[in-house]
Amino acid sequence: MIEFIHVYKNYDKNYVLRDLNFTVNKGEFIFITGHSGAGKTTALKMLIAMETPAHGVIKFMGTELNTIKKSDIPFLRRKIGFVFQDFKLLPTRTVFQNVALGLEVSGIFGDIITKNVSELLKAVELYTKKDEYPLSLSGGEQQRVAIARALVQNPQVLLADEPTGNLDEETSKIIIDIIKSFNNKGTTVILATHNKHLITGMGRARVIDITKS
Amino acid sequence: MFVFLKTGANQKNQRNILDFINGINGVKKAKYYGNKSSMKFLMKRLKNLKSVLKNIGPENLPAFIKINFKKSAISAIFLSNIYLRLKSLKGVKLVYYNKMIENKILQFMFFTKVVGFILFLLLFILSIFISYSAIKLIILRKQSEIEILRLIGATDNYIRIPMFIEGEIGAVLSFIISISFIYAIYKIFIFYGFDGFLRFFHIKIIFLNPPQIALVFLIAVISGIAGTYLSSKKFF
Repeated sequence: MIEFIHVYKNYDKNYVLRDLNFTVNKGEFIFITGHSGAGKTTALKMLIAMETPAHGVIKFMGTELNTIKKSDIPFLRRKIGFVFQDFKLLPTRTVFQNVALGLEVSGIFGDIITKNVSELLKAVELYTKKDEYPLSLSGGEQQRVAIARALVQNPQVLLADEPTGNLDEETSKIIIDIIKSFNNKGTTVILATHNKHLITGMGRARVIDITKS
Repeated sequence: MFVFLKTGANQKNQRNILDFINGINGVKKAKYYGNKSSMKFLMKRLKNLKSVLKNIGPENLPAFIKINFKKSAISAIFLSNIYLRLKSLKGVKLVYYNKMIENKILQFMFFTKVVGFILFLLLFILSIFISYSAIKLIILRKQSEIEILRLIGATDNYIRIPMFIEGEIGAVLSFIISISFIYAIYKIFIFYGFDGFLRFFHIKIIFLNPPQIALVFLIAVISGIAGTYLSSKKFF
């Protein structure tokens, strides 16, 4: 489903990724680990065409992302949900509106939005807070809203960049359990983290340490 | 306007000229002055300076026709037209009217047209710049929102269209305000009778007609679109 083939990335003379190679199959749960600055975020950004590799090939469902047209990038991003460490929620919109935004950008309106958003908010246990604004929520709740928004388009892959980076241990566990539950339903997950405690007890999850690249 | 007749002009010529003048739409009164009555006319006009006519007899003065026009009919083009037609009539020696004023009016009209056109161009560019700056500010204010929208799969058009709508709302509001402002000034001019004063200088105050209002609206819409397009193009 996803292939990184001899991928290099540099900023000026500083290479953050050197000969990165890995493959992700459908339905897998992948942890990308490595120390700060190892290039975890860069690798994820390349998957949504926010960054381009200096050398090498990245493939998503057979499509080479190196040569993707600018006009096709939004359609690629609709197939990949992204959860950011800093949530990236719109403070002027309610929880419901933030999640609905994921569908609105795809041109979906009306009852489908109400149905899908409500279902997801129930799944992340935030339905009762649907009319509240992000700033009135805790960090863990904001991250759950961000997960719901990332999953509302029913993406094939969920990318999570340090989703628990700003959260305490207990809340981190809740977030990981939510992501895991969606993975159990078939969504491929790639989660970048430097926190090795998250990985323990994740059973069938695969770990890719990019420090070695 | 004064039409001086040739010394040898016979009564038939005089009659033809007078008939022609009276047939012109816009003539209020046309009066014929023979040699004697032209002397009287001159003496009446000169008042205290009539001593200059001491050695001049009526036979030295030409006969003439004095024409008064209706105020509503007077315009520079109208007077020029009458002047040329009278000049070509048989028995007419000279047609006199204050051409200097007419030239000044024509110059003034040309000047106002040129200044108006330059002002229009400047204001049009300014309106585009204002729309451009307003949308640029909106983009800067919404930069993080735009970034988030892009990350979740929004196309450039999805982000641009609300900006175009905002730009157009601004343009239409500006149009309404400016037309209302012009109408208020027009009404003030009419209320205080400035139009009568300006008519004396052959300047007629009129309000924009529907096609002109439509043109102003079109210009406002175009400037809104142009301003939004330029600013959004710079950021997308």
